[in-house]
Amino acid sequence: MSMDRTISNFIRALRNADVRVSTAETLDALGAVELVGYRDKAYLKRSLATVLPKTVDEKDTFDACFDQFFDFQDVRGEQSPGGSGEDQSEEQEGEDGESGDGEGGGSSGEEPKGKKKKSKSKAKKNNLYEEEEEADLGPGEITDPKSTLGQLLMGNDRVELSMAMGAAGEETNVRDIKIFTQKGLYTRRIMDAMGLPDLNREIGDLRTSPQVPARRLGQQLKARRDFLREQVRDYVEKQFLLNADVSGKRLREELLRKIKLSNVEHRNFRLIQEIVYKMAKKLSALHSRRKKIFKRGALNVPRTLRHNMSYDGAIFDLHWKSVKVDRPKVFAICDVSGSVANYARFMLMFLYSLDEVMPKVRSFAFSSDLAEVTELFNRNKIEDAIAKTLRDYGGGSTDYGQALLDFKKNCLDDVDNRTTIIILGDARNNHGEAHAEVLKEIYDRSKRVIWLNPEAKLAWNTGDSEMRKYGAYSHQVEECNSLMHLERVVGNLLKQIA
Amino acid sequence: MGDIEKIAASVASLQESFEAHNYICSDQIATAVFLAYQLRKPILIEGPPGVGKTELAKTAAEMFALPLIRLQCYEGLDESKAIYEWKYGKQLLYTQVLKEALDEVLQGAKGFSESVKRLHEFGDIFFSEEFLEPRPLLKALKEENGCVLLIDEIDKADNEFESLLLEILSDYQVSIPVKALAEPPMVFLTSNNTREISDALKRRCLHLYIPFPDADIEQRIVAARIPEIPPELQRQLVAFIHELRTLDLKKQPAISETIDWARTLVLLHAEALDPKLVTDTLNVILKFQEDIENVTTEVSSITARITK
Repeated sequence: MSMDRTISNFIRALRNADVRVSTAETLDALGAVELVGYRDKAYLKRSLATVLPKTVDEKDTFDACFDQFFDFQDVRGEQSPGGSGEDQSEEQEGEDGESGDGEGGGSSGEEPKGKKKKSKSKAKKNNLYEEEEEADLGPGEITDPKSTLGQLLMGNDRVELSMAMGAAGEETNVRDIKIFTQKGLYTRRIMDAMGLPDLNREIGDLRTSPQVPARRLGQQLKARRDFLREQVRDYVEKQFLLNADVSGKRLREELLRKIKLSNVEHRNFRLIQEIVYKMAKKLSALHSRRKKIFKRGALNVPRTLRHNMSYDGAIFDLHWKSVKVDRPKVFAICDVSGSVANYARFMLMFLYSLDEVMPKVRSFAFSSDLAEVTELFNRNKIEDAIAKTLRDYGGGSTDYGQALLDFKKNCLDDVDNRTTIIILGDARNNHGEAHAEVLKEIYDRSKRVIWLNPEAKLAWNTGDSEMRKYGAYSHQVEECNSLMHLERVVGNLLKQIA
Repeated sequence: MGDIEKIAASVASLQESFEAHNYICSDQIATAVFLAYQLRKPILIEGPPGVGKTELAKTAAEMFALPLIRLQCYEGLDESKAIYEWKYGKQLLYTQVLKEALDEVLQGAKGFSESVKRLHEFGDIFFSEEFLEPRPLLKALKEENGCVLLIDEIDKADNEFESLLLEILSDYQVSIPVKALAEPPMVFLTSNNTREISDALKRRCLHLYIPFPDADIEQRIVAARIPEIPPELQRQLVAFIHELRTLDLKKQPAISETIDWARTLVLLHAEALDPKLVTDTLNVILKFQEDIENVTTEVSSITARITK
């Protein structure tokens, strides 16, 4: 029962860390846990690793999550390593419930359990308070603490303490923690729930007590209370990491979507990359269902019968229904010259992601001379591919005319009426020859030409921008300098080419 | 049957048994197979090519003494190739041959509707099991005593085919009713990750990622496969391969390449690695000319490092 709870909490933490876990998988996880038990942590980890995470990335996340989660779960609910199994501990708990022969005092029902566990888990718990033993008053006789928390602290049992902490955490709904400023609040609440006010009162009383053993206890309790505070703070911190981080991430993603691509700081690059990939994936998932291939398909009865009439109805020449493959073709041409340097990286990133999720994208990059980078993209990881493209082709001054001529020379033959051509660039041609007639040629042959310009619309056609000339031979011209723009444009694009 | 249960009773016994069949597996792999058997779930195996994904399924079949049914996926694979197909040729032949018989059946029948009615009485003879050509998936479901079903390179098949698999993987049945099975097949799917497998499919499977093994396991693999290899050579060889995997290569040498190389070196009666030997046999482990050229310059330094 409590084991189920542990697993479902763990899965919650996993989901928080962006590992997708379905209900069916939760059930599988429970089945696996039933089979392997909690005894051997490495074994448990290996088992859950086959059931819950389903990609290599998720496995990494899972590893981190598992270590973090079961690190303190371990002190919360586990027995000594290699010690008693699950059954035994359950048995033990049952026994505890019945016996309840505590040594009196206002102790709660869980005290005797703590005592028993303590003796069991001696190997594991390290003496937390060694240093404090050497207090001013020296070792010696000590009175018994009265408050529940005091008893717990003096019990010197890590397991028991962590369990109480966990229980208090549940009570205060620490898992609802959302923002980091709430950490202090939750720390206090948990301490309160564990009985801090009583303890404080007791410490106060003890310190003013005339008897040495009582004062000694007061001192010890104070030290241990401070220690406990640290522990609770740690616990809250972990809960925060496990449960709240994701909302922060979502917030950040939302912001990044709207921000201008040239303003995004480098450190957010990875996150952007994720968003772009997700976006490209989502968009292509919407549309990729249509690319179908039938190598043979079903028997085409009418056609078969018709063709076999001449053989006196003896059917031996079979005909098959098949659907013709109609895959969209996309040519993407990206300007990586100096003037669009800020955008080039993101455009390339998008190009790369698009390439990953769509069947037939050929990518080109140019400053003045056009080069095909499809191979490069296929062979390299995204960072390398972008870096290499920028290194090899980037930075020069733009010559759209030359790039178009190159395109015409190399691949105009491959352009047909199912081809979509996307051009990413600012159309600033350094007053060179525009060669718009080449674009017209491409325009006539292709299904669509789409021009995505990272500049704001107001800046088009100013200075050396040739947007007007090129715009005439494009089916669609769009401003595109944030991820939102990109998403919209590509959504439309995929709809049309699919 | 009892044997299988005994072998699959614990991770340790599985590992041992795999080892007895010359398949050295990590704890992770053994755990996955254990869970797959106990939970009756298919395993989706991913990893770089040549780490023994397919081999795992083959060895499992051998170990459990179950028949192995293999379905190799490719683009355009559909249900008529994967599940079943009617034997059209046989159907046509039979209709021709039985033409006479049909005439007899229809003799005396008055009118069209009566003829059709008579024909109906014969039931769907031509669409009975006699005329059904079972393909791997159906075959696997018809194995009374269970079998190992290997669906190889699922990433090569189309998305639609994945959907087709869903029913089989979760309920072990296909939409044409098959008798309930005493023992469902053990299903292994492998993927080289040339495309993402759909979430729906992943949800139904356990997921096992087999990476390149660490040096220790790889040495044991080599020793198990080629027992006659000198121990020193075996250590050096594995160390060399591990060095190679840290380089930027188009295709990193996998376990299968390590084994091929070991076999080559044993054939050449080598006792230890030396630069010339390595350079001469580099084409066994590296499959791209570019890689070979890049590595050739490094050979002597790597060899020096691992033989000292």
